[in-house]
Amino acid sequence: MKTTRIVVPAAACALVGAFCAIAWHGLDGAGPNAADVSPWIESAEALGARNVVSSIILGVRILDTLVEILVFTVAVLGVRYFLELPHGRAAAEEIPESRLVGVSAAILLPLIVVIGTYVTIYGHLSPGGGFSGGAITATGLLLVAAAVGAERVGARFHEGAFERVEWGALAALLVLALLPVPFGKAPFTDLLPAGAAGRLLSGGTILPYNLLIGTKVLLGTWVIIHHFLRHRGEI
Amino acid sequence: MNGVAVLLALLPPIAVLALFQHRRILAVLGMSVFSLLLAAVFLFAGAPDVAITEAAIGAALSTFVYVLAIRRSGRLVVAACDVPGLVHEERGTVAGLEVDLLERVARSAGLELVVQLMPPDEVLAAVRRGDADVGAGGLLAGDEAAGLCTAPVHLRTAQFAVRRRGARDDAGAPHPFRGEMSDLIGSARRGEPLAVELDLARLLALVRSSAANLDVTRKPGEFGYAFVVAERQRDLLRRLTAEVNLLLRDGSVEGWAGRHLG
Amino acid sequence: MFGWQGVAAAVVLFGIGTLGVVLRRDLVVKLLALAVVNSSAILCLVSLRVRPAAGPPLLGAGATPVMADPLPQALVLSAIVINFAVLALALVFVMRLVEQYHTTDSHRIDRRTRDEDAE
Repeated sequence: MKTTRIVVPAAACALVGAFCAIAWHGLDGAGPNAADVSPWIESAEALGARNVVSSIILGVRILDTLVEILVFTVAVLGVRYFLELPHGRAAAEEIPESRLVGVSAAILLPLIVVIGTYVTIYGHLSPGGGFSGGAITATGLLLVAAAVGAERVGARFHEGAFERVEWGALAALLVLALLPVPFGKAPFTDLLPAGAAGRLLSGGTILPYNLLIGTKVLLGTWVIIHHFLRHRGEI
Repeated sequence: MNGVAVLLALLPPIAVLALFQHRRILAVLGMSVFSLLLAAVFLFAGAPDVAITEAAIGAALSTFVYVLAIRRSGRLVVAACDVPGLVHEERGTVAGLEVDLLERVARSAGLELVVQLMPPDEVLAAVRRGDADVGAGGLLAGDEAAGLCTAPVHLRTAQFAVRRRGARDDAGAPHPFRGEMSDLIGSARRGEPLAVELDLARLLALVRSSAANLDVTRKPGEFGYAFVVAERQRDLLRRLTAEVNLLLRDGSVEGWAGRHLG
Repeated sequence: MFGWQGVAAAVVLFGIGTLGVVLRRDLVVKLLALAVVNSSAILCLVSLRVRPAAGPPLLGAGATPVMADPLPQALVLSAIVINFAVLALALVFVMRLVEQYHTTDSHRIDRRTRDEDAE
């Protein structure tokens, strides 16, 4: 007990100190002449995309993004496993929400879905992309599930189909990443041509990647929400 | 640039306020505000992608997931009948042995205790309906009704048959008492005949208040006070069971009994 | 200039989050403090490369003469979503713990596991 009293605050101070050191070291390079952004701009122009951040995560560093999607999948799998296994599929008691939630869900849902889909699709042209757009659309789905009940939404969208689409999106992502190989290019580079910058169909493979990642994030988040709604109030 | 500095300066105080709250739901809401502010900071720092993502995830999804996991109302609603010593009103608040016990349960669950006093026959109905989470107020284990479960006995008691012959006639054979204590005490003070079965706490209250000419015989058998929970609230029942056993083991219940019941 | 202010705020938030994890007993609040630590790391990364009067990293119509560095934003973008999923998983573990020990008080769970080990 005494050692815990000393060790834990010491470890916390050491962590904070390490963070400070890293930040200090990083600050050396900060300032107006700090980062040379031109390589990223060049790669974005080569890809035909306007959003430089999208061209980085889905162009140059697509491998990192794919592994992060894998981490996301494993986390969602963990949530499903640990919440379903002990309890089975027993339905929780439905707690009725007030009318206000239902009415506002009816008004807001189309708006949210449209905005989320727009952000996903136009990820290569304006800020956003698969991650943001998937999260936004998931918010809409969550609003409906809170208003109507997770079971009804799950029944309407047919859980089995959702699972198949989820794993299908992951498989499609991997296939898309490895697809350049039979065409003679290196894997994880883009296959589709970079169209005219600013058009919807431009940016190489960024658009398909965004769509697939958006689907993956939406469905994964829906699984999390669904299971949490089933086991609500347990803490 | 000054606006951003203000936002940045606001972040640590909001984080401190959010994290060092007593009620969990307030901590979660504070974190939602924190995420929103952080998203604004990202927007002004020239990172719109990050801002959109942080707003959608931090302020909306993460908050919602926490709110779903945390118990819904944040309150532990107890329906209780008035029994001096166990649950009674005192100086504007409710106090007593069972109140202390339930206060501990609520605190360990991070909930706020709300006690509603009502006539005894309404207590069980309220718990069954779902208006209250727990039924209390000197309820005896074994008085089970359909759809309700009892927590383990937190205080053993005995049943007493109390008679008092009235001036003119007899009240008949003792029957289990199901009314309000204040009515009973009032009728005892007026000298009306009594024939009831009372448990220890109620008996003590009766004796302390009027105490004239009472014939008390102890009934054989073991009885105990217990709380009543609706059958579908299994999680609450488990929590209550664990807490009651813990408090019995470390002797807190006896200390409270000494203080409240004398 | 914004850069060092953001980093200072991030360091302070990191400290607050760590303090929160250590000091608070409630498991849910510990997770919230971890979320604060996450946010502080993200803020630090983004504000290390902030330039004054920098616009969003976009080409074409939305561009400004000075562009914010897109690299830390790229690093951080997917991290936010992944952190949410991992934090949800951590919350599931907390739910399992609560189901077994009927409390979110970490001290009490610690005591009870020590009692169980002693038996």
